[in-house]
Amino acid sequence: MNKVFNINLGGLPFTIDEDAYEALGSYLKTIHNHFRSSEGYEEITTDIEARLAELFQEKLGGHPIVTLKHVKSVIAIMGTPEDFGAEPIEGEAPKSSTSEGKWKLKTGKRLFRNPDEEVIGGVCSGIAAYFGIQDPLWVRLLFLLFAFTAGFAIPLYIILWAILPKAETASDRLAMRGDPVNVSNIGKIIEEELTHVSKKVSELGDELKAEFGSKKKVRRRPMGLNREKAPKIAGLISERPLPRGFLF
Amino acid sequence: MENTTQQMRKGILELCILSIISEEKEAYPTDIINRLEESEMIVVQGTLYPLLARLKSAGLLHYTWKESDAGPPRKYYYLTDDGHEFLGGLMGTWNQLSSAVQNSTKNLTANKN
Repeated sequence: MNKVFNINLGGLPFTIDEDAYEALGSYLKTIHNHFRSSEGYEEITTDIEARLAELFQEKLGGHPIVTLKHVKSVIAIMGTPEDFGAEPIEGEAPKSSTSEGKWKLKTGKRLFRNPDEEVIGGVCSGIAAYFGIQDPLWVRLLFLLFAFTAGFAIPLYIILWAILPKAETASDRLAMRGDPVNVSNIGKIIEEELTHVSKKVSELGDELKAEFGSKKKVRRRPMGLNREKAPKIAGLISERPLPRGFLF
Repeated sequence: MENTTQQMRKGILELCILSIISEEKEAYPTDIINRLEESEMIVVQGTLYPLLARLKSAGLLHYTWKESDAGPPRKYYYLTDDGHEFLGGLMGTWNQLSSAVQNSTKNLTANKN
């Protein structure tokens, strides 16, 4: 006995086996990830999904359920993004030709600023992620301690803030924590992102309301540390809700 | 070297896609795929879609939705005025190039045979 799913692919309904469903899901994720930064992202992915649906119809030929075998043969026809020989349009890097070197580089741990758990610039939480410290609070406390005792912590923080890149893409985030980048990993991060999008939007709404509600509060905010609202909406790419730090 | 071959293939593929669409007036991607597969221009079908998107964002192609008897509405691509002009230029370049290549490699091919 097997579990089946009912799916809508490219506007057509299919009944699909559980293992086939997972294989198809992870294939579509690779496609989506590959073209995410492209200009025609939506067009490309919907067109590909529509074509996949057509291919399934052809392959099924009256068979009621899509099996793993069907999925595999359809994927072989459609090919993976690497086979397309097409880098994403306007993408940062031609992935098809240099992806190997790039992936290798990113499988090791790298020091980033962590924009998901930042209080000021995300330096401390980036360091915490790098050393595998669960709670960035400890790094923050250490910085504070040095700030009051030795006094070099504040310039050090500013220098690190300036030189460390912000972890912006899903693979940056994985590299920050030292997880190897692979399809299921990236898929996981993106899933997490989506779950938190609505949460963060409503959070942001509350914050904006609070801000417009009391003008005093806005003035009290140090200018340089004001969070940028617009990029936050555009880049709701974090897997955890933003902590409300002590500065706010 | 692999990169050069790939670039060449891609350029030629774009030329083929544009000329197929121009010939059909309005072309459904699956029909384009069938034509390209007939002439062994593509190995995997997914190749077509990023190219269509790029040609469209370059303003050379556009599409309309048409109802279909079997299933959801379909996208039919057609050439814009810019697209026709571009294809004309591309065909000219191609003819020049192919005769140039034939001329410069004819000794090579003659020796082989």
